[in-house]
Amino acid sequence: MDWTLLGQQLANGLVNGMNYVLISTGLTLVFGVLRVINFAHGEFYMLGAFLTYYGMSMLGLGYLPSVILATIAVGGLGIAVNTLFFWPLRREHEFTILLSSLGMSLLVTHAAELGFGHDPKYLNSPFTDDIVEFGTIVVTQQRALVFAAAVVVLGATYAAIKYTTFGKMMRATAQHAEGAALTGINIRFVHSFTFVLACGLAALAGSLVGPLAMIFPTVGSWAVLKGFIVVVLGGLGSVPGALVGGMALGIIEALAGSYISLGFMEAIGYAIIILVLLWRPQGLFGGAVR
Amino acid sequence: MRALPLPGVAAFAVIAVLPFLTGSSYLHHVMVLWLLFALLALSLNVIIGYLGELSFGHAAFFGLGAYASAVLTLQTGAPVWLGLVFAGVLAGTAGFAIGYVSLRIVGPQFAILTLGFGSIIYTVTNYWVDLTRGPMGITNIAPLTLPIVGPLTEARGYFGVVLACVALFAYACQALMTSRTGRAFLAVRENAPLAASLGIDVFRSKLLGFVTATVVAGVAGGLYAHYLRVITPELMSLQYMAALIIMVVVGGRGTIIGPILGAAIYVVLLEVLRAFGPARLIVFAALLTLSVIFLPNGLVSLWPRLMAARDRRKARNASAADAEASP
Repeated sequence: MDWTLLGQQLANGLVNGMNYVLISTGLTLVFGVLRVINFAHGEFYMLGAFLTYYGMSMLGLGYLPSVILATIAVGGLGIAVNTLFFWPLRREHEFTILLSSLGMSLLVTHAAELGFGHDPKYLNSPFTDDIVEFGTIVVTQQRALVFAAAVVVLGATYAAIKYTTFGKMMRATAQHAEGAALTGINIRFVHSFTFVLACGLAALAGSLVGPLAMIFPTVGSWAVLKGFIVVVLGGLGSVPGALVGGMALGIIEALAGSYISLGFMEAIGYAIIILVLLWRPQGLFGGAVR
Repeated sequence: MRALPLPGVAAFAVIAVLPFLTGSSYLHHVMVLWLLFALLALSLNVIIGYLGELSFGHAAFFGLGAYASAVLTLQTGAPVWLGLVFAGVLAGTAGFAIGYVSLRIVGPQFAILTLGFGSIIYTVTNYWVDLTRGPMGITNIAPLTLPIVGPLTEARGYFGVVLACVALFAYACQALMTSRTGRAFLAVRENAPLAASLGIDVFRSKLLGFVTATVVAGVAGGLYAHYLRVITPELMSLQYMAALIIMVVVGGRGTIIGPILGAAIYVVLLEVLRAFGPARLIVFAALLTLSVIFLPNGLVSLWPRLMAARDRRKARNASAADAEASP
């Protein structure tokens, strides 16, 4: 057994896993608070990557300022998204809301194809060419940055949910929206801010991971698929579930890709998740199914 | 034999005349696509409308049927009808396996699980190049051959075949909904624990509906493959999964006319919107979103709504007249 190869694959898996965690934390928060599956979540990932690209090419900003700008801009977009697509439909059937988010997803993707062009773009980061060595394992600085930034941001998000008043309001809304409203919590504000958080996290993921591969307008459907798989694996609405599920998916895919088959890597990832769901239908950290 | 519903028969008679109204083969092609998608949407409607679960994997069964029939007829030279049977059997077997595993879970988790299964089938089709030729797709698929007519070369012939399938399946849905099994489906949709307490086997009802839907999707896939004679794994992509759900929900879930109407809107709208050029899909997505927001129960809910508005207006006029009559 080649331990260096194993370690290298584990390191890659951890970085990819962190990306999945960033994507799926927003998805799981939105589900937890609004009981809605947001099909358009991946589009914010895509927008994050493209806004970073245009921040650098058109505004002439550096990479990191562009990342921050894109994250804030897409997070702000979350307010509009909630106001236009989700808040008016909050009493409708779940299929209706899901389809409305699907419609929004198509709208954003096609608008992006028209506005940004079909061709893949390369998001340039100053950190992609330099490497960091941990013993015999080598990762690019960009990958280390993805991991470190994700740890910091996710740590802050989890702490905010756990310890701040706003976090308490979010958890109260997640537990029982009407009960929360009765205690004087502004549900609409909580919904809006949950979207800000979710969209911002997705955009951050997109702008950080963008330089690791090409970016193109349909990358959002890839991101949302990964996010779905992770949240179902971890348990819909569970934040620790998103963390464990994302890491697990990243590592499983990396190992399956290097030891079994690169082409079937994704199918193997799904297959393992399906096995887990047979054992725990509600996901690893999900509550009991109604 | 149950009595045939008269309005339904009349509607299908009208549809059957459509291809004779025009000589344009392009319009014939659009009509065949419409009916193929109508068949698919009707089958998905069994899951969405009657069982009340959302499946994102339906396009995968469609693709599975298309590949099953295409590969069988190409590799072994089997007749096309056998390919269609094989398509239905293979899709149904996959549907049984996947349904058996995932129907224990309900709601959003089920929807996402079917998305995962759909993605597995898509990935395998895309990478099993020896069998499926991967992203290049399969070409030169044999056309459908009918006993007396011979091989079908024109879209008009396929129109007849697919229309017969749609009519048959629509009738089956209608019969199902007036049967004990169909009422059990609705009971499961409305309240599964209550249905179980009445002695309905919830899991078996769902599995029955799911497998039926996948068999029909497989046959529709086979018909599609022999009609277009070219297939690629894109049939199973997210775009088609979304399209099928759009047809059912925009048309009106849980009805028979809804999915057929939804398929017509989808196919025709995409063609009509070609006038918008590159912005076509944006306009389409915007219309879709608006229709979902303003007509959550689909286009079929428009008619009762208009009637109710007319009745209200009538009642108001009548009461106004009364008020005038009485001093």
